[in-house]
Amino acid sequence: MAILARVLGDLELAEDAVQDAFAAALRRWPRDGTPRNPGAWIVTTARNRAIDRIRREQAFRRKAELLARLERLPTEDDDVTTIPDERLALVFTCCHPALAVEAQVALTLREVCGLTTAEIARAFLTAEPTLAQRLVRAKRRVRAVGIPIRVPPAHLLPERLPGVLRVVYLVFNEGYAASAGDRLVRHDLCAEAIRLSKLLCVLMPDEPEAFGLLALLLLQGSRRSARIGPGGDLVLLRDQDRALWDDEGIAEGLRTLERALRMRRPGPYQLQAAIAAGHAQGSSPEAIVAVYDELARLDPSPVVRLNRAVAVALAGDVEHGLALLEELDELDGYPYLHSARADLLRRAGRDGEAARAYGRALELTGNEAERRFLRSRLAELGDER
Amino acid sequence: MRYALLVYSDQSSWDGIGEEEAARLRAEAMPQWITLFEEMGKADPDVVGYELESASEAKVVRVRDGERIVTDGPFADTKEVVGGIFLTTLPDLDEAIRIASLVPAAAYGSLEIRPLADHGDAG
Repeated sequence: MAILARVLGDLELAEDAVQDAFAAALRRWPRDGTPRNPGAWIVTTARNRAIDRIRREQAFRRKAELLARLERLPTEDDDVTTIPDERLALVFTCCHPALAVEAQVALTLREVCGLTTAEIARAFLTAEPTLAQRLVRAKRRVRAVGIPIRVPPAHLLPERLPGVLRVVYLVFNEGYAASAGDRLVRHDLCAEAIRLSKLLCVLMPDEPEAFGLLALLLLQGSRRSARIGPGGDLVLLRDQDRALWDDEGIAEGLRTLERALRMRRPGPYQLQAAIAAGHAQGSSPEAIVAVYDELARLDPSPVVRLNRAVAVALAGDVEHGLALLEELDELDGYPYLHSARADLLRRAGRDGEAARAYGRALELTGNEAERRFLRSRLAELGDER
Repeated sequence: MRYALLVYSDQSSWDGIGEEEAARLRAEAMPQWITLFEEMGKADPDVVGYELESASEAKVVRVRDGERIVTDGPFADTKEVVGGIFLTTLPDLDEAIRIASLVPAAAYGSLEIRPLADHGDAG
């Protein structure tokens, strides 16, 4: 799929041709036996199907050009060894900044991870026709505006890589803290993001941030079973049963982080992974604040400042943490600002204000498990709603 | 891919600038234009570009209910107006973005990249 997409510069046509090839394989392999090199057989068959499809519409000049490019493709007898590059090219195409972020996410899951439209629609709680339409529009846009299907040249890589990593992180986050629905963690999306992130590390072994992201996902993912209590409720980090943490995932995360740090080019994902590693290893709150300071210097976004404020409070200075939260007006619509504030106010013994902040967080969150958690906190403060 | 690159800038910023000052500003931008034309020529030898006369010279024509209405332009209240256009064939959007960012006006105005619609039969 990736090979054809790259040669043709047309995701729709490539996808149709590959589907034809798999259909042909289903009919022919049971009858004629599996070919010596099944991958190459598929590529060759898909190539021939694409040629057929194009010939059918040969009135178009553009297609004649595509035909010529297909003729130059390796055939079954040639060695198809360039698949990793082709797949990476597809990742960069799907995550091109000319596409809307939600289209990038959907397209990546469809074209790179191979999820079906129905699976993606389920994962994002979207109606299937809506999602199918989003995909079709995105694929048309790739062709209409001329988004290249290739790995960006070295000079473009620094500005394009963060976009790719962000899409992977978004997929993971949607699985880890589902923004809607009644399940808190959707393991399938987490697993898909980790797989994608591993692929990026294999394909770009000199990019420390790719390893930083993988380390972060592994470390956060290793705690995901402990994040939900028996009743499907949210369990905070400090209350989690450490026996439920996935030790192997933590060890792999730590090894990956070490490998990233050895390249000596720190970045936001490596630092976030370092914080997650600190939590996993029970580092002192002061040490964690120090990493947050570093992260806030590299990435002074409001969400990073929110997390840093909480870390400062957990390290003992609750009033300072609260003061830092007061500076974050721009996050007023973000439920975690209010739940974090509520938590700190409760620690400071300011119960009335804490109840109001929990109430505001409750208004803003759509996830049922998180709502139950917030209601239980309100009940502890004597507020039943 | 064929692209139109539309050059937008605020032409009123040239108002009230003396001849000498205007000539000096043009001379200053010259090396950038030369770089642009070199890069454009390498990417597409058949590129064409036009500078438009000031938007204050524009006429706007509308036909409503069969009646022709001609007014002075520009017709919109936006400050940035199209001051020039390039038509070029480039391999992909990334290359179009690279070329567009070389146009001096990108630094004070903006460049709009518009792929030409491909109905399959265009020559």
